Amino acid sequence: MTTMAIIRNLSLVALSLTFGLSTPALAAPKSELVLAIGGEPDQGYDPLLDWGRYGHPLFQSTLLTRDAQMNVKPDLATQVALSDDRLTWTIALRSDAKFSDGTPVTAEDVAFTFNKAKTAGGALDLWVLKQARAIDDTTVEITLSEPWITFSEFLFTLGIVPSKSYGPDYSRHPVGSGPYEMVSWTEGEQLIVKQNPHYYGKQSPFERITFLFTGDDTSLAATHAGQVDVVSVPAPSADAPPAGFKQVVVDSVDNRGMSFPMLPDDGKTTSDGYPIGNDVTSDLAIRQAINLGVDREQIVEVALFGHGTPAYGPADGLPWSNPKAAIAHDPDAARALLDAAGWAAGSDGIRQKDDVRASFSLIYPASDSTRQAIVVTVAEQLKALGIEAIPQGKSWDVIEREMQASPVLFGWGSHNPLEVYSLYQSSWAGQALYNPGYFSDPDVDAHFAAAQAAESLEASYPHWQAAEWDGESGFSAKGKAGWAWLVNLDHIYYVNECIDLGATQIEPHGHGWPITSMIQNWKWDCE
Amino acid sequence: MTDAALTRPVTGVPVRRNKRIATIAATCAGASGIAVVVVGSLAFGNFGIEPDFSARLLPPSLAHWFGTDQFGHDMFARTIHGLKLSLWVGVVAATLSTLIAVGLAILATTCGRWADILVSFLVDAAMGLPHLVLLILISFALGGGTHAVIVAVAVTHWPRLTRILRAEILQIRHAEFVIASRQFGKSWWYVGQHHFLPHLVPQMLVGLVLLFPHAILHEAGLTFIGFGIEPTKPAIGILLSDSMRYLTAGKWWLGLFPGLSLVLLVLCFDAIGNGLRLLADPRQAQT
Repeated sequence: MTTMAIIRNLSLVALSLTFGLSTPALAAPKSELVLAIGGEPDQGYDPLLDWGRYGHPLFQSTLLTRDAQMNVKPDLATQVALSDDRLTWTIALRSDAKFSDGTPVTAEDVAFTFNKAKTAGGALDLWVLKQARAIDDTTVEITLSEPWITFSEFLFTLGIVPSKSYGPDYSRHPVGSGPYEMVSWTEGEQLIVKQNPHYYGKQSPFERITFLFTGDDTSLAATHAGQVDVVSVPAPSADAPPAGFKQVVVDSVDNRGMSFPMLPDDGKTTSDGYPIGNDVTSDLAIRQAINLGVDREQIVEVALFGHGTPAYGPADGLPWSNPKAAIAHDPDAARALLDAAGWAAGSDGIRQKDDVRASFSLIYPASDSTRQAIVVTVAEQLKALGIEAIPQGKSWDVIEREMQASPVLFGWGSHNPLEVYSLYQSSWAGQALYNPGYFSDPDVDAHFAAAQAAESLEASYPHWQAAEWDGESGFSAKGKAGWAWLVNLDHIYYVNECIDLGATQIEPHGHGWPITSMIQNWKWDCE
Repeated sequence: MTDAALTRPVTGVPVRRNKRIATIAATCAGASGIAVVVVGSLAFGNFGIEPDFSARLLPPSLAHWFGTDQFGHDMFARTIHGLKLSLWVGVVAATLSTLIAVGLAILATTCGRWADILVSFLVDAAMGLPHLVLLILISFALGGGTHAVIVAVAVTHWPRLTRILRAEILQIRHAEFVIASRQFGKSWWYVGQHHFLPHLVPQMLVGLVLLFPHAILHEAGLTFIGFGIEPTKPAIGILLSDSMRYLTAGKWWLGLFPGLSLVLLVLCFDAIGNGLRLLADPRQAQT
């Protein structure tokens, strides 16, 4: 008996010892994170080829940055000044910044980055940049060819690259002054980064981060298995966080809206021979009726499972959007508008004016199931107004051919007012995906010109707002109704309960990666 | 003792399951399954195509046997519509395939050695290529959509039947009535029309019916991976690929019922095809 008791006691002691020993190991703050938020860049991690446009560039740092409330904060730059003629930016740099290879960041590198980006042929449009040059080690002077206030956005997004070591394989082996440096990148699988010991700013408590580039289902399965700490989830499966995870919903300007061809179809074609114009949507009454008649709340409910907000403009919630441009859902007013414009209901319930039937194809990228759901919902709502929208899923190649003649469901949303400009500026009509409907309005163009000539980004906001709606006219639904903006998508993440993401920004288009913009503020919360 | 043996009650002759009746029953069951699909899709009309936002993502119930989807479409109606579309693709694709197979088989057996070598080569080549890859290539090249799927399925399903029919004809070629016909001076073309074709009808019918399941499954597969029919149409492949997004959210009925129905439809055709084969083949002696 005694031996038995002794053995039992011993095993109890052993047991408590194991637990006693392992408990602190379990509770230690985690220094490694695994994220499955998608967003692998096709062209690698070269800021000159568009890397870092959304979220944090990780490896590089930028001249300026924004906090969660979108306030401007200095980063590499200590002072930024724009000359009175709005043509010269003078930027003073901090002197203690170093690249991850230990070499200092100088004005030479900043000038090199801007000049190189202009010629790199990426998606960055630096046509307005005349020249960037280093005045001394810590001062850069950038001259523009004309006043262009949205140029300042590059101060926030263009990561600075080292002029000495920048080469053709930079995008696979980035060196920069950002908080992290690359350990490895297996294309299509994962990216591993670790802390940059030379980083001048506030170090994140996480020393090593793995980004998994897996599909939605795989990422979610990995989360359930406890192998992932932060995962971005699509709306249909966003309401059941696994045990140990919390649901984080972030507001966004990741909007979806339908473009309207503004010109009548009179046989005109683009330089590539694609038709321009649509006899239905070129009628202002149709465009305004659609804007009034769609039930945006219902679209959010049906197509987004409640994970979104109604959209009234291309930049809702950002300081350059005009809240006064929003309109209320009013199907009766929409019908009255159509009646007054001479669109009378035909035998099949679809309206007709002269011999034009109120019918058009509503095109969406076939691979995007969320856009498909939005299109199907909108088509159903428009039927009640007597307008027929035929949902058609197409590939992007085909969409680019047809977008001048048929409404398309696009997704936009950026932290740069230049996007608003690109969607409504008459001279940008038909360039790439910009202004596909050939919107053209002299008042809007004049407000845009005033905005671009403003003395600072803040001073330009009222002009952007006036372009949207100045009380009499504008590009919004109350004015020329160039687009019907429908919804802003919520970005939804499942986050390990122990991670505190802090305050989040209103996220731009591009699900997943934007959450990283505040990555340095993330904390491990469990003791 | 012997008495006991003699007086042992005579057990009735064991009721032999009449195989022929069983076969006919199975065939009829298969045919009625298909009839339900056709009649059902006509009866439903636009029901299942028109959304009803007040009844979204409901689990199966008496009002909605297969539940409803994100837009409040009735999944039962949608599944029936999808099966009808599958049937339509199946009919056209299987008929075209059979025509191609018959044409090639007759060509191979009546137009000399080189024609035979050419057809055999074509059959081997087509069978050697991975099926699905070929389907994707053709469908993609034709720009997707219902027509592309029909063409893709039709021009990829003939080789096996061609081979069977060719073997059948080669057998008949050496039959005495054919030799006699030839010696009366009839051309191969005449022999092909008047002696080969009537003999091939049973094989053709069976081949046609058994091509259906292949065609339907390939249509669903092609659509599932996104190279087929437009994503807003109710096709089984689309219903299945849509349901994938909801699996992790626990909406099991979106995938289960359409998938099960597809399997049932395929089994219906299998029953008919097997029945026809057994009934038409004298060697099976199902009397």
